[in-house]
Amino acid sequence: MKAVGARLPRYDGVGHATGRTVYVDDVRVNRMLHVKALRSPYHHAAIKRLDTSRAEQMPGVAAVVTHADVPLLVYGHLSALGIPADEPLLASEDVRYKGQPIAVVAAEDTDAAQAAVDAIDIEFEELPALFDMRKAFDDDAPQIHHWGPIYPHFEGEMNVRQIRKGNIDEAFEQADKIIQGVYRPAAIEQMPLETQVGLSVPEPDGRFTIYSCTQALYFSMGVVAAHLQQPLNKFKFVGGTVGGGFGGKVDTATETLCTLLAQKSGRPVKWRWTREEEFLCSSTRAPWHMEIIDAVSNDGWILGRKMLTLHDAGGYARFSPYGVTKHSFHHTGAYTIPNLHFDGYVVFTNRVPTSAMRGYGVTSVSFAVETHMSRIAEELGVDPFELRLKNANRIGDTSPNGITYTDPSTVDVLHALAGATDTELAAPYSDTTREMRHGEWLPEHLVGQLGDPEDH
Amino acid sequence: MNIIVNGNNRTVESPPLTPLLHVLREELDVLSPKAGCENGGCGACTVLIDGAPRRSCLTAVGSVPDAEVTTVEGLGAPETMSDVQQAFVHYCAAQCGFCTPGMIIAATAYLEGGGSADRVEISEALAGHVCRCTGYLKILDAVAAARDGGFDLSTTAESPHTTVLT
Repeated sequence: MKAVGARLPRYDGVGHATGRTVYVDDVRVNRMLHVKALRSPYHHAAIKRLDTSRAEQMPGVAAVVTHADVPLLVYGHLSALGIPADEPLLASEDVRYKGQPIAVVAAEDTDAAQAAVDAIDIEFEELPALFDMRKAFDDDAPQIHHWGPIYPHFEGEMNVRQIRKGNIDEAFEQADKIIQGVYRPAAIEQMPLETQVGLSVPEPDGRFTIYSCTQALYFSMGVVAAHLQQPLNKFKFVGGTVGGGFGGKVDTATETLCTLLAQKSGRPVKWRWTREEEFLCSSTRAPWHMEIIDAVSNDGWILGRKMLTLHDAGGYARFSPYGVTKHSFHHTGAYTIPNLHFDGYVVFTNRVPTSAMRGYGVTSVSFAVETHMSRIAEELGVDPFELRLKNANRIGDTSPNGITYTDPSTVDVLHALAGATDTELAAPYSDTTREMRHGEWLPEHLVGQLGDPEDH
Repeated sequence: MNIIVNGNNRTVESPPLTPLLHVLREELDVLSPKAGCENGGCGACTVLIDGAPRRSCLTAVGSVPDAEVTTVEGLGAPETMSDVQQAFVHYCAAQCGFCTPGMIIAATAYLEGGGSADRVEISEALAGHVCRCTGYLKILDAVAAARDGGFDLSTTAESPHTTVLT
């Protein structure tokens, strides 16, 4: 236990401070080619014609790759878990978001690559686009996804992530007040300072050394191997130096296409996205639409919660079902509510596909729950600290998905917050503990919901 | 044409309108200035040109003939780090590290120009530099400490922002 409690220097601090840290864009290999992509100029369109023959003849061009060059075109980030995939590595029949890649060119320099991209012969038929997920269920909504307006592959082939706990009808019958709120956080770009970048180097033995800025090295390795339909031992991944990610580098962005171009050209291939590409084409945190309806008592207990969540996946599913599942587990926040009715949907729109960002799926619901807690306190005329301490998770309380809490920190955090804001808490809230509920802390509606922490 | 990079005379073959950033990175293999946006918006490519902090992505190399260009490689090697570099290590002011070369260059220019340890003044001096990791507080601490001392790597002083919940 030499490290715990000790102040240790960052192992990479000196490299960062002296400019010695080698990021992917700093790796130097001979005869390296550079990549530009043909991306969709439309939010939604059918591809009527795609001909790269003129681009292939352009000066300095070493390789052009389209959907026809990809051994396994459709593979998903959750495919390894047996979950059906929906996103082609390169668009073939249609494009579902502005900036979706259709073809990539590797050339001697980026100018030559861009000139070849501009020479690709392509014809689109623009289609109506959808940007507001609340309209996805309308009869006249644009048809975007071959799976329909919402993701249909939750467990049991359900199109919704559901949580049912306790007796929601009884909770609403017993309520003194019903308090509702709608919460709609917008998309956010993770915006790492280092844009997406990858370098794939073909080795003489037929393997590829792939320098990657990914946050998820083995994820990316699996994705590349699957698309190329080759065993994992064909790929050596070099990673670990990430110039910022924040979730935006969980999705595999450049490595697969660099490797296909390296295979086709026989030369090392680097693809560094411009800042514009990073903003327009890389995954973002999702926009969410959350409706909360709570059954509450006048003295500040939350008896039951009904919640509807819409999660904007953009054009393809990626990790969205996982995000909504995590979201559902956290939809009571740091508080205990025994009676729950939760429905969460993954909705397809013509936005750029959304993915992880700092607390994937949870940040949205934390924002909604904390705002809603303050709304409840205001509407009931109850102190916001007291409302939170009353309903705070304690040892033996159970989560929406039935986990018994053994080490909940809500009470400690609230006490620290009160201290940090010079808030005087009145008894008994000043000495609330996280110990198992009993006496005044175990009201009628929570009797029977307690789990045994020893069984955990 | 020639430029002096970290004290070394270097001949430049790139055309005069080539951004200095590309000359440094692609022609001269000086890799600490980073291509974060190539639009002058993020600050990661900042270098000292004759002592003044400049965006190398917006500086045509032909506009700075015979200039003295300094990057963090020139401020100090791992064994010979400057005060600002040491302070950045000590305060964990570099997290992913991608903005760090530009930050350190700007902080160095600020302190060499007589800048104070005042957090607001430091913030103004570093205003054009984006960091997505640290929340900036550790960077402000590092620059203030580089001005006033207290960055000795052999000490075990607590960072002022290390708060432990009890």
